[in-house]
Formats: sequence, structure tokens, C-alpha cells
Amino acid sequence: MEANPAINESTIHAKVLVLGGGPGGYTAAFRAADLGKQVVLVERYPVLGGVCLNVGCIPSKALLHVAQIIHEVDEFEQHGLNYGKPSFDIDKIRAWKESVTKTLVGGLAQLVKQRKITLIQGTGQFTSPNTLEVQTENGIKTVSFDQAIIAAGSQATKIPVFPNDDPRLWDSTNALELKEIPKKLLIVGGGIIGLEMATVYHAFGSEISVVELMEQIIPGCDNDLVTPLFRRIKKQYKNIWLETRVTSIEKQDDGLKVSFEGKSAPGAAVFDAVLVAVGRKPNGKLIGAELAGVNVDDLGFIAVDKQQRTNVPHIFAIGDIAGNPMLAHKASHEGKVAAEVASGLKAGFDALTIPAVAYTDPEVTWMGLTENQAKQQGIEYDKAAFPWAASGRSLSLGRKEGLTKILCEKGTGRILGAGMVGPNAGELIAEAVLALEMGADAEDIGLTVHPHPMLSETFAFAAEMITGSITDLYIKK
Amino acid sequence: MALLIEIKVPDVGNVADIDVVDVLVKPGDEVKLEQTLAVLETDKASMDLPSSAAGTVQELFIKPGDKVSEGTLIATVLASAEADSAEQPEQPAVEASAPVEKAPEPVSEPVAVKPEPVAAKPEPISETPAGNISDHAAHATPAVRLYARELGVEIHKITAGSGRKGRILKDDVKNFVKKVMAEGVAQSGSGIPAMPTVDFSQFGEIEEQKLNKIKRLTGQNLSRVWLNLPMVTYHEEADITEMEAFRNALNAEKSKDDIKITGLIFIIKALVAALEQFPQFNASLSADGEKLILKKYFNIGIAVDTPNGLVVPVLRNVNRKGINELSAELAETSNRARLGKLMPAEMQGGCITISSLGGIGGTAFTPIVNAPEVAILGVTRAKMQPVWNGNEFVPRLMLPLDLTYDHRVIDGVEGARFMAAIKQYLGDIRRLLL
Repeated sequence: MEANPAINESTIHAKVLVLGGGPGGYTAAFRAADLGKQVVLVERYPVLGGVCLNVGCIPSKALLHVAQIIHEVDEFEQHGLNYGKPSFDIDKIRAWKESVTKTLVGGLAQLVKQRKITLIQGTGQFTSPNTLEVQTENGIKTVSFDQAIIAAGSQATKIPVFPNDDPRLWDSTNALELKEIPKKLLIVGGGIIGLEMATVYHAFGSEISVVELMEQIIPGCDNDLVTPLFRRIKKQYKNIWLETRVTSIEKQDDGLKVSFEGKSAPGAAVFDAVLVAVGRKPNGKLIGAELAGVNVDDLGFIAVDKQQRTNVPHIFAIGDIAGNPMLAHKASHEGKVAAEVASGLKAGFDALTIPAVAYTDPEVTWMGLTENQAKQQGIEYDKAAFPWAASGRSLSLGRKEGLTKILCEKGTGRILGAGMVGPNAGELIAEAVLALEMGADAEDIGLTVHPHPMLSETFAFAAEMITGSITDLYIKK
Repeated sequence: MALLIEIKVPDVGNVADIDVVDVLVKPGDEVKLEQTLAVLETDKASMDLPSSAAGTVQELFIKPGDKVSEGTLIATVLASAEADSAEQPEQPAVEASAPVEKAPEPVSEPVAVKPEPVAAKPEPISETPAGNISDHAAHATPAVRLYARELGVEIHKITAGSGRKGRILKDDVKNFVKKVMAEGVAQSGSGIPAMPTVDFSQFGEIEEQKLNKIKRLTGQNLSRVWLNLPMVTYHEEADITEMEAFRNALNAEKSKDDIKITGLIFIIKALVAALEQFPQFNASLSADGEKLILKKYFNIGIAVDTPNGLVVPVLRNVNRKGINELSAELAETSNRARLGKLMPAEMQGGCITISSLGGIGGTAFTPIVNAPEVAILGVTRAKMQPVWNGNEFVPRLMLPLDLTYDHRVIDGVEGARFMAAIKQYLGDIRRLLL
């Protein structure tokens, strides 16, 4: 990051201060600047983009693309396509992954400049309700501010009793570094991040074991959406242990010795690397919030209202630090709301749902009400699930395990929730989110002409199953 | 010929959302032409809805409590032969959303029958989504929800939108705001403190009587006028001794069944003559107070006391009508007003209003202008009085008159001159010929 003349002074003032340059923070900074505010953006790392761009969404997707190519080529061997055994130049792949990130980060730096935002690199700590101290390479800078937006994000949860200093014990950031391909990789946590990394390292040849505390992988997602993924990876991976926990990890010369307990717990086993992906915790306790008078709960979250305001009216919080789900697309939308409210607009975070996507193979995605939630809350619904085995597009990809599910309000047919599993299923969820936001019902979706043959058709087919107008299946009355 | 005829709400003068107070027939009933099917009540009057066909009621589409407007399907009647003559081409559609203030259409026949073999369904009633997904029950797109937020509207308070399947549209949000603002003014009077609630039963026995719709809306309208218009009332007496002599002579010529000429008719004629002379009295101020809208027609509203409350039917083009014609029209209109049979259109489009208490008594009062008109003429009972003619007191019949005007439009001197003109016309009605 280049030196900005404005920060040579030890104290500068910001109309709007944004703490954290991830997808939520930079969006908030950009929006506030576009609305005419003078903005100071404080970022801990030398690059903007936060976890998402540098050690999350983007690099993982780059690696997952490589994994997908490997898998697809692999699978088409049986249909007569043979490239021989793939060879990897891991350094080259890593360099390519980094070039993707670099391109995006470079773009962000450009956008900061064009908007005349003052960027300060350093770790920020509040010192009062109107000042923030930034520890920079050149000493301490003080930023005074009229309004602040906290976008300080989260970090991977570490389990204190594990040997966290051992380089063979990874978090997701380590896993994305792609330093080596371990022979035996244990993934602790069968959630989205753990399973995405499992997909990558499986493609590169690691023997994968997954251990999950709950009774299904991707807890929270409806079981029928997870099942096709579970069936597939059960064959691909060495082990998937559900309802099982890791009790200890010991350093050994030949690897990490892991002990388990629980329903399907195996005996202790040695792994070349262990990825701990048991969730993320918000950074609320690391920013001196108490000196600003901002309340932080025990977990490190900062509670906000619909305008993203904290208990201190001129200080906002957005993204991971403001609550679950910790997803970039939630953070960026919240960032816009905070910037708009700070600029005097009457905005509010009013989204009906925040869609979730697991970029596994097959991909799993859902939005709105899940069946699990509907049952818990006693909400009556109509359900339809269209099997991709009846989709020409899916079959022509050589895949048939997919499913598109839709939940509708009884009586009105109004869409309440939807989910898909299958190759590229993640691309299909946006239409369902739009349908929910627009208050569409199954009839609206079924009457919307979807191109053929596309995977997106399956959403319309599922809707037609609700209205009873489906012709691509025969359903006995 | 058996023909299924749809009975719809006729042109009632651009009034939407008319309450259905009562439905007097049920399917299977025989109805005659013009027989009352239902009683409707608008802001200004209640009215009977006549059947435009004779026959058997097949199906009813309204019930008490419904809101209807022009064109709403009321019932289908399987017509008997003689009803065919009642068929008329369908009235041109008037958009239900047209503002009520729009200039009234000429009164049309209250018959709008469209012979159609298939009974159309009534307007779909928007379903309210069951709303079991917490706050997100409102059927509105993200952009409309944002718009509501910007205007400070809690979108859940808009129970049904006008879009497809009850979707709340931007216009629904706007209309909600307008409605709330209109109610707010009437109820709280531009921010003045509300009246305290008093429990009168602590002082003795009481009985609660619900105000009917006309009373409630008249009250709201009067409060609005009271708060918005700076009003001045000017009092005068007119010598109507000669006028009365002439009137009595005219009435003496009439046979028993003829409609007698009342003094009010002469007052109407005098008022119109004064209006022609002082055009600023035949005017309305634009809502923003920037313009005066002068009217080239001469319609006079007459306040009529009815069992349901005060109504003001409007006599049209009074300048072109003679004394006898006006007498007949006034008698007929007043009679229908008392029976609650006035159409809303008959109460729109007035230029100035006369409020006469002459039948009861009084010496003077201060009427409230029927805005957006700019003046109102009050009349109390004429009395024989001694008047100094320069030499002596002579007995003259003096009529007290009270002119309240909107001082934003009318100056005090203009008010006095206008009243002087009326006095002059009444004092010597030959001047009406000039």
C-alpha cells in the first residue's frame, strides 16, 4: 500500500470511519464515499478484500475449479475420454490461484483511489466513542470520526487444547495456501468450509477423513439436500464419522495422532495433516469496543438494529461481527445499509433471506425456510422435489443425483423456501431468492419460461409439481 | 325473453368506496323495475340502489359492510319480458381511482345494464398472505419495501395491495400515506391538542349514540374548513316588503296543487345576480393557495336538514332558470334529500351555498363556508320592523342576512358591496331584469 500524504499527520478526521476492509467494509466505504462522505478506511492487512478475497471465497473457488476439472475428466474415463493420469504442478496451480486474488485486490485498490478514500494500514482499536487508534508500520495514528462502521470480521475458531503451533494442524487459511498435498488428511468439522477443502484435497489425491459432531454433514441444511452429496463423498473419502468428536491431537514425528469419541468413533489414528474447520468466531473483543461504549456479547458479536446501528447511535456494525450467517454477501448488503444510514438515507436491512451455498461436488444450496425450520416452527407447507435424473441437462453432464426442492405456503402457493443439490446447483439459487423477495408463488415460477435444456429448468419443474401442471414427470393423482 | 341482466352500481359522481349499509333482497326474490335492492351510504348521503330490471334475483354479489363503486356488480336478475326496455348501452367506464374532486359529470340516468349471458365475477378481493413467516408476510418487492421505509410507512399496515395477487405497489404506499394524512388533519386538527376523554357517566346516566356516516364526515369537513379558512361574517338586513307582496300575489294565482313559490327562490335569484356582478364570489382558491379559479357556471347549493343529517343538494345553472322552474326543482330535490335518495353527483359542483333557518326563527348566525366555495349566505326569519324613511317610522318586512366569506379571497369591502347588491335585488326585484 502506498503512503497517503493525509496520514503523515498523526491525527486525521473522518466523517465516516470504516474499520475493516473485507467485502462488507470496502462496500460500506465505497457507498459512503459515493454518497458524498469523506471516508477513512482502516485495514489490518496490506491488501483489501478481507478473508473472502484473500483467504476464503475466491481462492477456494479457484482451487475448487481445478478439483472439478480433475473429477470430471476422471469420471469420463468410463465414457471413453482418457487423458491418462493427471499430473500436478502444485506451485503453478498455487501461483494461478494467487494471480486470481491479486487481480481482484488490485481492482479494489483502484476503486479506493478513484473514490479518494483515505486508506490506513494497521490494526485499529477504539479509544473513545469518537476516536480510533491505528497501530501502523510508522507508529500510531489517531483517527477521530463523526460516524464509524465496524466491519472487523471474524477468524477461524481454534480449539485451545489442540497443538495449534504445529504446522500440520491447519485452519482454512493454511489449507488454502496449498503448501503440500498430505497423504492422509483429517478434516474436523463437516460443514461447508471443511467439505469444500475436502473436495480440493481429494482431487489432488489426499486420503480424506471427515469427523462431524452432529448427525449429518452440513448441519442446518435439510437432510434430503445433503444426502446426494453424502452418498457421493462416502464412496470417495476414506471415512466420514458422524456424531463423533475429537478428544485430543498429539504431535508425533510421523504425523498428528488423533483420538475420537462418539457414536462411530474409530480408534486413535495418525494423519499427515488435520484441518480444523469447526466454525468462525467474530472479532468483537479485539477492537477496544468497550472504550467506544459499544456492547459486545460473550461470543464477540455486536448487536445491531435494522439500520445496522450498535447501541451507540453513530457507530454501526456489519458483516460477521454483527451476527450469523458469516457470509460475504450478507456483509456487503449490510455495508450498504450502514453507509446509507450514515449518509442520512432511510435505509434498512430488510432481506427476506440470505442464501447459503456449499461449493462441494455436488454443490448444495438453499434459501428461505428449510423443512427443518418449518417443522420446528409448526409452519404448514407444500413441498415438491424435482429429481435431476429427469433433467436432460444433468444427465448430459453425466450426473443424476441432483434434486431441486421448493417449499410453498399452503393455500397461496407463495414460495417460502427452496434448495438444490447437484453440479452447479449454486448458480440456481439466485432465482429462488428473487422469487421469494418478489413474493412469487409456484404458479408465477411455473409460468415463467425457462430455457431448455438447463439446470435452471428444474426450479420451474419443482414449481409445476406444486401447481400440478408438471408434464416432465408423471405423478399419480 | 329470459335474459340474465347484471345490475351494477350506476354513475354516482366519481365517488369510490361507497358503503353498503343494507341489502333488501335475496336470491330468488321477484323485483320490480326501480325497486330498491340495497341501501348505499357515501360521505355525503345515503341512497337507495334501484333495480334497473324486473325479474328474479339470481345471484347477489354484495353484503352489508362491503365497499362498492361505479360499475361494481350488485346482482344478476333473470329478467322478465318487460324489463328488456330497460336495457341501455353500458355507461362509459369511469376510472375508480379518479379523484373525487373532479368536476362532476352531468347527472346520468342511474341505469347501467349490460346484457351478458354469463355473470361476471365481482372484483377479486386481494388475499392477505397468511403471514406465518414472521415479519415477512407483506407481499411487496424489496424496492417497494424500501420505498415504504423511506416514507416511514410500516408496510404491514397496508393490508392488501392493488397489484396482482394483492401485491403492495408503490402507489398503495402513496395512497396509504395520503389516507393517513387526511385522517390526521381531521382528527387532530393540524397539531392542536386532542380533546380530553371524559367519563360522563360519573355525573349521571348517559346513553351512547353512534354518529352516522354523514354526521361524522360533515364534522370532519367542518373542522377542516374551520381550521383552514380565515372566515369573516357580515350581517345585513334586506327590505323584502315589496318582494313578499309580489310573491303572495303570484301564489294567489296558483291553484291548490301547484307548487307555491317560497322566498328562498327569490334569494337564490338575487344571489345569482350578485354573483354575476362580483365574479370573485363564484370562485375557488387552488389547493396551494396560488390561484383563484373563476367559475363560469352558476350552481347554488341549498343546505337541507334531513333525518340523517345536513346535506347540500346543488341546483344547477340557476341563472338560466325561471322562478317557477326553480321552485319545482327545489321542492323535488329537497323532498328526495329528506328521503335519502340523492345521488352523490347531485351534491357536487356548487358555487356558493345558502343556509336558511328562516322557517324556524333567529336574528343572525355565522354559517361556515362550504369550502372550496368562498362564501355562504345565511338567512334567518324576516320580521316586520319600524324603519325610518326620513320622515317617519314605517312598518317594513326586514330579512336578516349573514354572509360568511373566505377572507383570503374576499376583502371586507367586497363582502359589504356584495351584500349591498343582494339587498338591492331583494329590495326591488325588478332589478333582476336588468
